[in-house]
Amino acid sequence: MKFAGLLAILTMPLAAANVKLWSLEKVTRPPVPTGATHPIDAFLSVMHRQKGLVAAPPADKATLLRRVHLDLTGLPPTPAEQAAFLTDTSPEAYEKVVDRLLASEQHGVRYARHWLDVLRYADADERMYAAPGIHLWRDWVIYALNSDMPYDQFVRTMLTGHRTTARTQISAIGVRIRLEPRPEDLFARGFLARGAVVRDNKDTQELPIVAVETVSTAFMGITVGCAKCHDHMYDPVTQRDFYRMKALFDPLVIRKIPLATPADIMARAKANDRLAAERAAVEGPLEALAKPYREKLYQERIAMLPPEAQVIIRKSERTRTVEEQKIADDYFPVLRIDTGPLQEAMPAADRTRFKELQQKLAQIASREPELPAFWTVEYDSKRATEPSYMLVSGEPERPLKDKPVEPGWPFAPQEIDFRDGRIEAFSDWLTAPENPLFARVAVNRLWQWHFGEGLHRTPSDFGAHGGDPDHRGLIDWLASEFTANNFSMRRMHKLIVMSDAYRRATVTDRPTMESNLRIDSGNVYLATMRLRRLEAEPIWDSILAAANDLDVTIGGPSFDLPGAEPPRRVSRPVRRAPAATNRRGAYIVRGFSTSRDIVPNFLQAFDVEDGRLPCPLRTRTVTPPQSLFLMNSDHVDQSATKLAERLRKESGGDLKAAVDLAYRIVLGRGASAAESDHGVTYLAGDAARLKGLAWLLFNLDEFVFVQ
Amino acid sequence: MISRRHFFHRTSGAFLGSGLGAMLAADGRILAAAHHPPRVRSVIFLFMCGGVSHLDTFDPKGNKHAGKLIDAIGFGDNVAEMKRPVIPCFRTFTAHGKSGIPASDWFPHVGSVIDNIAVVRSLWCHEGNHFPAVIETQTGHRGRAFDHASLGAWVSYALGTANRNLPTFVNIGRPSSPVQLTGGYLGASHAATPFQAGEVPIPNLVAPKGSVPAERERQMEVLARLNAEFRERHALNSDIAARSQAYELAARMQLHAPAAVSFDTEPSHVREMYGIGPEATDEFGKQLLLARRLAEQGVRFIQICHAGGGNGAWDAHGDIKTHEPLCRATDKPLAGLIRDLKQRGMLESTLVVWTSEFGRSPWSQNITGRDHNPKGYTSWLAGGGIKGGTVHGATDEFGYQAVENRHYYSDLHATVLHLLGLDYKKMFVEAMGRTFHLVEEGSGPIRAILS
Repeated sequence: MKFAGLLAILTMPLAAANVKLWSLEKVTRPPVPTGATHPIDAFLSVMHRQKGLVAAPPADKATLLRRVHLDLTGLPPTPAEQAAFLTDTSPEAYEKVVDRLLASEQHGVRYARHWLDVLRYADADERMYAAPGIHLWRDWVIYALNSDMPYDQFVRTMLTGHRTTARTQISAIGVRIRLEPRPEDLFARGFLARGAVVRDNKDTQELPIVAVETVSTAFMGITVGCAKCHDHMYDPVTQRDFYRMKALFDPLVIRKIPLATPADIMARAKANDRLAAERAAVEGPLEALAKPYREKLYQERIAMLPPEAQVIIRKSERTRTVEEQKIADDYFPVLRIDTGPLQEAMPAADRTRFKELQQKLAQIASREPELPAFWTVEYDSKRATEPSYMLVSGEPERPLKDKPVEPGWPFAPQEIDFRDGRIEAFSDWLTAPENPLFARVAVNRLWQWHFGEGLHRTPSDFGAHGGDPDHRGLIDWLASEFTANNFSMRRMHKLIVMSDAYRRATVTDRPTMESNLRIDSGNVYLATMRLRRLEAEPIWDSILAAANDLDVTIGGPSFDLPGAEPPRRVSRPVRRAPAATNRRGAYIVRGFSTSRDIVPNFLQAFDVEDGRLPCPLRTRTVTPPQSLFLMNSDHVDQSATKLAERLRKESGGDLKAAVDLAYRIVLGRGASAAESDHGVTYLAGDAARLKGLAWLLFNLDEFVFVQ
Repeated sequence: MISRRHFFHRTSGAFLGSGLGAMLAADGRILAAAHHPPRVRSVIFLFMCGGVSHLDTFDPKGNKHAGKLIDAIGFGDNVAEMKRPVIPCFRTFTAHGKSGIPASDWFPHVGSVIDNIAVVRSLWCHEGNHFPAVIETQTGHRGRAFDHASLGAWVSYALGTANRNLPTFVNIGRPSSPVQLTGGYLGASHAATPFQAGEVPIPNLVAPKGSVPAERERQMEVLARLNAEFRERHALNSDIAARSQAYELAARMQLHAPAAVSFDTEPSHVREMYGIGPEATDEFGKQLLLARRLAEQGVRFIQICHAGGGNGAWDAHGDIKTHEPLCRATDKPLAGLIRDLKQRGMLESTLVVWTSEFGRSPWSQNITGRDHNPKGYTSWLAGGGIKGGTVHGATDEFGYQAVENRHYYSDLHATVLHLLGLDYKKMFVEAMGRTFHLVEEGSGPIRAILS
């Protein structure tokens, strides 16, 4: 069988260090302990009993509804949804909500954002080839999650473009042909194409390196990044392993796939003809103007060289000896003439003319219509014949020619069957149900997104650093459950949120809290639910939702927020983002450029990273710039105006009712008597103060925290 | 000078921005790393983005080798033999002050305060391209495998704030890379807060149009009442405590930051010192005056990125003459800053560092331009604990490699830490199962330039 080698690694002595990693041991489904109905609670209650922890009671219905809404869809429950849940007294009331939310398209938007943090989604990364159309990869992830694509297929498709391990089929006449992948799965490959970037005007050949770093952290939970320059200090990953894994991706090249309709393409053909004629009309005079100056400068520069060099340079290339050619090459940078010195050599009138013509050219270039396209990766068979090498300091330009490597990966079987292709062989190994890392790493991520922290607390490091998890039994049970259920993520979500652990209150009586805290200061054993600061996106969405102003359309290009400085110089035309800023926060632009800030202030303030590195776990800071955003930003100010208007309309002029409604809209619960009094007192009978009330609610601690 | 005790008192009594990390710092966990009395309270860190030519500024080499081909082996990515022609330097150098330290005709004003300055001519780093070199010189580490923190974040982490109304680490000007602002594994609460010279130094500082201050004040009171029950219920949660403090600091910044950054109280002769007014020097002058005002008010680490964005405007491949306007823009303000600090008695408690990710090559690129050179370059320091009028270290006869008293760039970091009362060996953080130091290579503080 194809994966026989996999089991061999489990007993194989590990290469670099004498470390036994629990995460590499086979997943054995542990028996579920007794003492609770839900298996998750059964595992946790054992720990509670052992440690002397007292579990908190269930959260009240309103709190639970807001929690599960924000968790599964990133959106707050509407007053109507609240009313429906509160009046539904059937035992299945909560399960019905869970099913409704998991079936909602907005669930895919919320969880795609989690995955894309891990998978390094960015709209821009210096000059990233895949930038135009990269959002189609995001759209694909949303689609995959909404269709409950099994996790193994989800990963396999991003790596290979195929959902199944079958890549060929035999025809009726006995010819083996490649199976055509499903057309939409083309967009899954944005995952790999995103790694191709140009920095310092140089193609950095980062694609295979980035692929290794992302794939190993995201799906294997092994941080191999530092094996790039030296053997990984603690984990059984050697430098050779790193470059073997890189060799898997070395044959990949990126390719642009036009997505335009035939009509668009033909329309562009005509426009191009017109532009080409315009360009020619400028280029001719420009060259005529520049030529004498360039020639003069060139001669001047040659004259500055030592005489023996001059003789060599003046020879034609054909008549130079090898040594002479080497010297000529050394002088090349000196003799190259850029537009700067060229302009300086011109008298003012010519310089002005030169600049005018150049501007005209730039202006023509900016008018070249852009056709929709998507950048994908392709296996280049010529490249595949070239040997791969280990590199000095991970720099692609510095191969160690005496250290060639064969494709492979850490923990790979001795004999790898590459007949289906390099990445395919790896992907089959990675996604096999027998791979102990694959399911463990995945269920731990899903858990983290529901509880704020993983059962294993370093989600992308299941190596020696991560240490033994406190919940080995529970992780293994979840991993085996995940595998047994055909890697259905939706099923795992439901399993987790249906547990008592998930439904607990964040607080209980003070003595119990203090006692629990003494025993388990980090709340590792979840005797209470964790209180969590909301991430940037649900904050953005909740503000717009309260104002009745949220556009929940699925997919499409990212949008930018006003206030960002325009790029200094545009080296490639940037597709203009649509002006509307009332879409979900998951679509706010992010990325990196040395010439300007791409990630808007709002996202930066709330700990969103730029997507250059995999982000397995966002930090959750509580900082003054966040407070300033909620106090003073246009976004909050405009939404407060709209919320006030909504309150005025929906409360029918009754200010006490307006206060209660405001609480329901913004916090998902009615106002207490005291809050109602404070609110009414604040309003002092003046409906004009409703905007102030809206502001107050957006600035409450409770608004940015999920209980 | 600030006594250790006084220093500790100020810090531990102060309120710190945000997040648990910062609060622990305020509690003195990291301050325990402060093993000796600090010489300075604040650092003004001036980063010239793109790579300043040491050869045309503070490290004169004469022109005896001009036109010769020299061996550039080991340069950049070239492992093969490579010859490059040395180009003439067109600057004239003047020996300034009592110390007679030369500065080129591009830096006459800095020359006039040279007796306050220690010039280090023998720095080197590994990386020869902007992006990696900025990471290396800013975080003390090479590469992006870990989320390393920048120098300013380390200072914020270690020392906390000395002014409860302002952030601890401020950046002014556009950096070449976000790495220059990052709190990395120390947490976003230690990241730089970007300030700009002008009326609104940070986003959302000013209440929206139409908001009435009295009404806002009333709202803040109601907000406290409405938060009370929630805060009581979650009193054991450090995030909630941090949030109420974040609101207090935000409110205080809203109240105090505009005055802190306003130049209204600055007399015209002070503005003139910084070159504020004339177009060439106005922007940098304002940034430096803002830096001085922030230092005065206890901001620990004020970083100024000059000519950032892209590779940085100091990146003079095409023609070294592109340095000229940059020197003109910075020369007078730099001297003005040092004079102003001195006349206020602040130079003793402030450290000024002028630096760049690397220097430039003795050979030409495009005949009039110079290539990158991480193998030997210059930075200078002035202020508390610095022996002014000193030159330390030297490059070879071409100005290519540092050969005498060589200092890996981290030695500059160690020097900054030392003057802040921090021992670089004892300042570390546990993150991702590893122990990280800011300084992990090199030989420690550059003692020869310390007074």
